Amino acid sequence: MVRAHLSVTTIRQLIEMKMSTCSGVHRSLACLHRAVGGVRWKSSFRQAPLLTAAPVRSLIDEQISITGRFLPPDSPVTVRARMHSEEGDLWESFAHYNTTADGTVNLTQDHSVGGSYLGCEPMGLFWALQPAPGAREGLRLRKMNVETPIVMLMSLLEGHVSPSEGPSTELAVVTTERWYMAPGVKRIEIRQNGVVGTLFLPPGPGPFPAVLDLWGMGGGLVEYRSALFASRGYASLSLAYIGHKELPGPQNTMNVGDSYFKSAFQLLEDHPQVDGSRIGIMGLSFGVYLTLRIAINLGVKPSCLICVNGPVGSTLKLIDPEGRSSNFESEQKYWTYDDQGYVSFKAVSLPANIVPASIVKVERLTCPLMYIVGEDDLSSSAIENANLIEETLSAAGKSQLFTRLSYPGAGHLIEPPYTPNARISLWSVKPKKVMTLWGGHTAPHAAAQEDSWKKILDFMECHLRR
Amino acid sequence: MMDRKQCVVKLLVQPSRGLVDEKFIILVQKAPPGYQLTVHALHKCEDGYSWEAFGHYTADTRGTVNVSEHSSLGGTYSGVEQMGLLWSLRPVPGSKPGLRLRKMNVQTPMEVTISVYQGHQTEGFMDQVPLASVVVERWFMAPGVRRIPITEDGLTATLFLPPGPGPFPGLLDLWGGGGQLVEYRACLLASHGIASLALDYLTPKITMETGKMVELQYFEKAYKVLEQHPQVNGSRIGMLGLSLGTTITLKMAVYSQVMKLRCAVCISGCHMQPVDGSLEEILKYFNQNADRTRISEENELIWRDVALPVPSDLAFKVDMGRLKCPLLVVVGEDDQNWPASESAMDMEEMMEQAGNSHLLTVLSYPNAGHLIEPPYTPHARASLFRSIATREKSRFNLRLTKSGLQTCVLMAVSVFFAVIVLWGGETVAHSRAQEDAWRKLLVFLKENLYSGSNPGTTLLSHL
Repeated sequence: MVRAHLSVTTIRQLIEMKMSTCSGVHRSLACLHRAVGGVRWKSSFRQAPLLTAAPVRSLIDEQISITGRFLPPDSPVTVRARMHSEEGDLWESFAHYNTTADGTVNLTQDHSVGGSYLGCEPMGLFWALQPAPGAREGLRLRKMNVETPIVMLMSLLEGHVSPSEGPSTELAVVTTERWYMAPGVKRIEIRQNGVVGTLFLPPGPGPFPAVLDLWGMGGGLVEYRSALFASRGYASLSLAYIGHKELPGPQNTMNVGDSYFKSAFQLLEDHPQVDGSRIGIMGLSFGVYLTLRIAINLGVKPSCLICVNGPVGSTLKLIDPEGRSSNFESEQKYWTYDDQGYVSFKAVSLPANIVPASIVKVERLTCPLMYIVGEDDLSSSAIENANLIEETLSAAGKSQLFTRLSYPGAGHLIEPPYTPNARISLWSVKPKKVMTLWGGHTAPHAAAQEDSWKKILDFMECHLRR
Repeated sequence: MMDRKQCVVKLLVQPSRGLVDEKFIILVQKAPPGYQLTVHALHKCEDGYSWEAFGHYTADTRGTVNVSEHSSLGGTYSGVEQMGLLWSLRPVPGSKPGLRLRKMNVQTPMEVTISVYQGHQTEGFMDQVPLASVVVERWFMAPGVRRIPITEDGLTATLFLPPGPGPFPGLLDLWGGGGQLVEYRACLLASHGIASLALDYLTPKITMETGKMVELQYFEKAYKVLEQHPQVNGSRIGMLGLSLGTTITLKMAVYSQVMKLRCAVCISGCHMQPVDGSLEEILKYFNQNADRTRISEENELIWRDVALPVPSDLAFKVDMGRLKCPLLVVVGEDDQNWPASESAMDMEEMMEQAGNSHLLTVLSYPNAGHLIEPPYTPHARASLFRSIATREKSRFNLRLTKSGLQTCVLMAVSVFFAVIVLWGGETVAHSRAQEDAWRKLLVFLKENLYSGSNPGTTLLSHL
């Protein structure tokens, strides 16, 4: 290192310094105390424990490993996860572990002995999330803005404690991000040819195989599954068809019909970065009926179909041959209520109760179909509809097209993995507050989501790629 | 009009968002068996320059290329190199010479585009459409890490706090003679749970405004900021220095009455200095031998001889026998900038004689150069460098030989412009050294700053 004579002004000329505006340390500290809720760390340990998560930023369907180190040996600890939903509700989960003889805890190999889940569950903290004590009723955890991650704060706590017991000693913390969108995925709002949707394109030159992504009667525009498909290499179009302010007509009726869905499919076909000969359709709930109707009635040629817990025909009264329908609340005769007043829509989609003229002629199917059943589905008659489809295809000599996945203990909302299930949630507030039953028990539902997602991706790999 | 592709491949990089020191897996699938392809990385740095790396592969019988298991047959790296696409990044052909890749804004990630091209190609990638392409983010900052500028007590520094209430062990992070406030290493250490303070001590605001170099109390003030911070455990503070930062770290570790360091890490530096000297005097000490600068065949400056030979006079080297905390010394044996090897040997000898050599661990890497930095970042064997000057007049003791005159001109030039300085190191060996040193540095820091063992315990076995 050598120095030479130089004046201060020349130093300034040589080196450009960007001085950012700074706040003093003390002011920052005050903010920090407020932010962390003023939990005072009082440790009975001489060492300082360390909690790590790897990778700290991951996609929603990826497993991560969580480990704690520098803990006292053979001691009880609690691992807790916390996050805030977009609506501002606090969700949390926790599990009780005992550290090993060398003072570590590793969620990929150790067993939980209490808390939100039991046994060896590397991703338990994610799928066992529940609204924190004191939360509003009937919450369902959904990410509507997919361009930002879910931020989860994981903590190591002293002893076997539970959140409802009040504040506990936090030994170590790590923050993780969970993303629906991989870097480079493009999100494109679609408002053309009357089609209302959001298109997600993977990074790269394409052309890509694609999927048309349909949700249920809850309506709106749900993007997260599409975002995740694009992160896995498929162009994916989330399509709105009911309950969206940019669609024609009142929001509680389905005012779009066959030509709308055909336009959506063709939009994908015609897109320069989509391989038009490799488009699949996925539908959940009412979206299953739409998936089948599009594949069979509209003259388009999808390469495969994925149906989750939905009917083979319309559960809404059709008001025209194009398939436009009345509103869901107009036909309540098949709604049932349990002793807590929660409504189940299950009987609405019993094949005997479906509008006969709307039942899709599944015997005309020409591409593979995967049907996913949650055996504890309290919102749709998935088993009966799966049976009907299977029988129809078998009678037509097409049983080789049909694959069924059936999950005991899983409910209606079989979604991408490592996200919590809502057994019930708020359905409507007017004219009065109604909670609906979706079904599903936490652990088996989580297993169903994990297994079905892998199989969905394999199915798409098989039928949408060369 | 796009040409019809020969084949469609599937490209997966996991994790797609990683920390800078995390490995990734790159998997190419669905290629025809035996297909020749090139895996390519492209990065546009903050200064706007493009960097690239590539490896040549042949798909196996299942049509797969797994970069962590298959051998690159050529390109910017060869052999089985899981992270070769990052550490072998180099400026694209036609770029300005002497570039060095450094991330100054740590709040955003490095974005790297990984692509697959058909055939074994070496150029013209930008003129072609790849078979597949993904984007990968490389972060210095883990989620929840907080970046806090520090200006109190005349300091120019940035504190990085891990997420959570703490308290966390702390670390003072010092770079070398280039000055500026360089944050990325401190940020990455905070991502590993260590509250780290990156300190600008050559070009802080106070020096820029007054023209005066800081005194040694400046470093002690920085230490106190850490010690007194409610989220830092004041009894668990370490110090890390590279290059000139090593010189300061050793002085503080041995002589400071204020700093009670639990451990220290010294990379590519030396213990030679006037032990009673201020920062300014330390710089002058090295200045006085400017004529020992050599010039390589490519006109790069070699500064390592300026600090040699290692003196025997104890007034000019830190008395290592008085060190009381564990010390990790990292040395590149091809360091052309500082005589780190010679210094490490002398330190070891001093400590053996004094009986405290159990505190010392030396990591010495053949063919590694001066800039031993976090792993999977590209190696700069030489780069443009602007040195920081003292306020005082210095005199060159020049023997007016031809080379002496040349040196004088080059030195004058080096202050007004940047010249190319030779850091040393051969890319593959240097990259392995960075990976190994960083891993061991993290183990060393975590063991000393986190675990309950007493300070002074030997930790050689863990490394």
